Amino acid sequence: MYLEVKEMKKSYGEGGSYIQVLKGITTGVEKGEMCVIEGTSGSGKSTFLNCIGGLDLLDSGSILVDGKEIVGMKPDKLSDYRRDNLGFIFQFYNLIPNLTVRENIQVCEYLSKSPLNMEELLETLGLTEHQNKFPSQLSGGQQQRCAIARALIKNPKLLLCDEPTGALDSKTSRDILALLEKVNEKYGTTMLIVTHNNSIKNMVHKVIRIKDGQISKEYYNETRVPAMELEDL
Amino acid sequence: MQKVLRKRILRDLRENLFRYLALGALIVLCMYLIISLIGTADTIIIGSENAAGKNKLEDGQFTLFVPLTEAEKTGLTDKGITLEEQFYLDYELEDESTVRVFRDREKINLLETVEGSHPKSETEVVLERRYAEEHNLESGSKITIGGKEFTVSGIGCTPDYDAPYKNFTDSSVSSSSFGTAFVTKEAYEILLSEENSIKAEEYVYSYLLNGELTNEELKEELKEFKVNAEEIDDIYFREYWEEQTAEKTELEEGVTKLADGSKELYDGLSELSEIQTGLAPLDEGIVSARDGSKELSEGVKELQSETDELFEEYFEPEIANMTQFLAVKDNPRAKAAANDQVINKYGGIIAGGIILVLFAYVISVFVVYGIEKENSTIGALYALGVKKNELIVHYLCLPVMITFIAGAIGCALGFGAIGGSTIMGNCYSYFSILQMGAVYPPYLLVYGLVLPPVISAIVNWLVIRKKLNKPALQMLRNEQKAGRMSHVRLGKLGFIATFRIRQMLREARTSLTVVGGMFISLLILMLGLNCYTMCHYISTANKADTKFEYLYTYKYPEKEVPEGGYEAFSKAMKKENLGYNLDVTILGITEENPFFDVELSYNKSEVVISSAMAEKYNISKGEVLVLEDEEAEQYHAFTVKDITEYSTGFYVFMEIGNMREMFKESDTYYNQVFADKELDIETGRLYGVTTKKGIEKSADVFIAQMKPMITMMVVFAVLIFAVVMYLMMKVMIDRSTFHISMVKVFGYRTGEIKKLYLNGNFYVIAVGALLAIPLAKKCMDMIYPAMVSNVACAMRLTFSWQMYTGIYVAILAVYLIINELLVGRLKKVNLAEVLKNRE
Repeated sequence: MYLEVKEMKKSYGEGGSYIQVLKGITTGVEKGEMCVIEGTSGSGKSTFLNCIGGLDLLDSGSILVDGKEIVGMKPDKLSDYRRDNLGFIFQFYNLIPNLTVRENIQVCEYLSKSPLNMEELLETLGLTEHQNKFPSQLSGGQQQRCAIARALIKNPKLLLCDEPTGALDSKTSRDILALLEKVNEKYGTTMLIVTHNNSIKNMVHKVIRIKDGQISKEYYNETRVPAMELEDL
Repeated sequence: MQKVLRKRILRDLRENLFRYLALGALIVLCMYLIISLIGTADTIIIGSENAAGKNKLEDGQFTLFVPLTEAEKTGLTDKGITLEEQFYLDYELEDESTVRVFRDREKINLLETVEGSHPKSETEVVLERRYAEEHNLESGSKITIGGKEFTVSGIGCTPDYDAPYKNFTDSSVSSSSFGTAFVTKEAYEILLSEENSIKAEEYVYSYLLNGELTNEELKEELKEFKVNAEEIDDIYFREYWEEQTAEKTELEEGVTKLADGSKELYDGLSELSEIQTGLAPLDEGIVSARDGSKELSEGVKELQSETDELFEEYFEPEIANMTQFLAVKDNPRAKAAANDQVINKYGGIIAGGIILVLFAYVISVFVVYGIEKENSTIGALYALGVKKNELIVHYLCLPVMITFIAGAIGCALGFGAIGGSTIMGNCYSYFSILQMGAVYPPYLLVYGLVLPPVISAIVNWLVIRKKLNKPALQMLRNEQKAGRMSHVRLGKLGFIATFRIRQMLREARTSLTVVGGMFISLLILMLGLNCYTMCHYISTANKADTKFEYLYTYKYPEKEVPEGGYEAFSKAMKKENLGYNLDVTILGITEENPFFDVELSYNKSEVVISSAMAEKYNISKGEVLVLEDEEAEQYHAFTVKDITEYSTGFYVFMEIGNMREMFKESDTYYNQVFADKELDIETGRLYGVTTKKGIEKSADVFIAQMKPMITMMVVFAVLIFAVVMYLMMKVMIDRSTFHISMVKVFGYRTGEIKKLYLNGNFYVIAVGALLAIPLAKKCMDMIYPAMVSNVACAMRLTFSWQMYTGIYVAILAVYLIINELLVGRLKKVNLAEVLKNRE
């Protein structure tokens, strides 16, 4: 198991405002798998992703990534963990506006000792002709592709995607998902995709549904629908 | 609408309390200093004016060879002017300081005591305040002047010695070595009769014109006053006069001898002609010789009478009595403190304005950042019908409020008891002025209370207006229009370099504010350092350049130059510098004079000038130098052949022979003697003695005097720079919080984030400092001479390379310290920032 989560508990606030967001989640994802975390708003899916990403600390429980426990790591070590293992894709791309496409990708290339080939990645993501453009000169889809390239350049073992198509129209969403699919196939990257879109779960290997801080359903797709064939995106 | 928005103002203030507190504190400090500076200047200017009126400051003074006769005095006072003898005697005291003793005044330049009372008996003396302070003397202390013990009955000031310069040509006041004293008429007569003064009595008269005459008219009157040299019985004058008229006497005696001889010859031949020898040819010859000698005798008599007539016409025993005429405006001792403050006042007003613009701009950077953060909210408000002007007013509220409150506090502090104490303290410890009640004219209140919010409103309005000018939709979408600069292509630079350049371009406004703040701080720093450099140069160079031990200035020179001395001919001239008429000395010296490193020219129109003069008047080799001889009402033009390193005063060196010829003096005339040891010269012959020790003592006065001011300026400059840089760099971090949070998510460590977001500023600071240091220095070098235009001293403002390096290193050090302080801010950037940007 590449990612192994045990009894993950997380709460916020105190007294009257106390809320337990994760109530003891235990699950896992195999290496090279694409996994969707789905749930309604406030179900705890983003907190789950943030804890795996080392962005938020657990109250209790354990997270093993590639056999290494990340719970209890000091901030510096967590930084190293993210640097060495993770790639992030956000809903609103979060590109640095005063950097070109290429420069935005270099932000993460800088962190890796063995980054992917920039030109090849640009080509794969269809960004070669846009590499010298600034984010404001790109469409939403192009910006998200740039964000994906940025996340992939350091060749992460685990890609955490938080609503990657949340800000895109259905055609562009399909393109982006196809791209993630292609990346998964080409680089064998393990992916955790947080989404509230019902269709995306059909293209991945595994689906984890979270409801009120607990896993309400967890299953593997016997047949995966290719991203380009997804409907209702 | 405003009512609702107003609630946000306090929230914004609370949210950014530290930022606004720091900036507010700086404005408080700035306004405090400026109001103190201007208030002090006004206090001194107005106080000096009041003291001058109250104590009847002279309209001018003149110095005479011999005192006026009663008839002459009456002649002048009948024209409506007020005249008072202000004769004085100089005494050297045990501690080698000089005390100038006057009779207590009755009509002009009245003595006002700050403690004790006027002298009432022959044993009482009032000492000038600064001299008393320097020598720890107070009422009741004993002091021995001219071998006579006095009790200090009081301490006081007179308006004609605001700046107690010993000589008009002195460049600094040194109260440890010179001061004035006032005794009763009787005590003065006793001192005079005991002849213990170090120089002859000076016959100075002060006058008030009372609107009846002008200075020029009085001067013309005084020029008519002649003195019959034959009637002066001062032994030194007599000797001097006899030397001056020796050739005439010799000629007269020769002609008399010739007349006597020719008469004797005629008498002898007449007697001989009466004896008949019987030898006709011989007798005829004797008669003929007698007739001839008669003709000769008559001719010589005629010659004698013609010569007498000639002497009467050209060798008048009457000489001009006036040796110096000085209107009060040209008197460096009078109203000196006030004159010194005029530049401070206007400098302060302008500097305050510039600093306020800087702070207002710093605030505007915060406001702009706030607007950028709230773009979508503003867009929504626009969409809901809120007008741009309403928002402008809202965004102006906080800057105006902060600058008004900070300005008011600074103003109150400046107006308060502690306001101006340093500057006043400096003034009181340099000038001999009375304690003055603080004066704060209404314009200053307007300056302190109205100017900060008005400048803030204008600067912020100009900046904010543009930011709020975008269409509602563009703001709703939070579309940040990147400038052309941001989209510049950078080619194939490394990632870190590229990122830093992009960051610098993005933060160009903030970086420019830092550089602007640095420039203004540097201007203040340069003002302090120029002041230090000048004072330090005066302190060291004056000592080094003074090679003689004694300089004797004669009133009545001896026939022969005393052994061991080198004669010189000195003449005081005037030259205007930025409205101030300063004293310049033409010094005629011999080539043998070892105390000056001057290659004299034998061309009468060529002179060598001292480096102090070249610097003050910005004169170069080959230029024409015009000097005014106020006494003779003439101008003299010279070509500057060379500039010699001499810092002690404004000197124009000439070959003594040429100078004698130019000023129509005899071939042996001199009025100064330089020596490397004490010479045996009767004090009655002298105007004064200047010693190397005295020069050395006064050389240190400036630096000791200016130290607190210099320190204050340096500290203030560093504070402005540090606070502006801290706030601006913090704004840079705040503006990048989201992206810093994001790169942290990617796995960037604090050191790497610092490298990307903060360290790029190093280049801005490093390059900015490289440009700003010379620029600020250049600007201050242009401004500074005007600020000290009334100070007669060398103007060497050159910094050593070590100083420049020091300033540069100090700037980088301040930057590095602030950079390190801001690492804490980087650490505080929460990873959650980036997670907020989601649905």
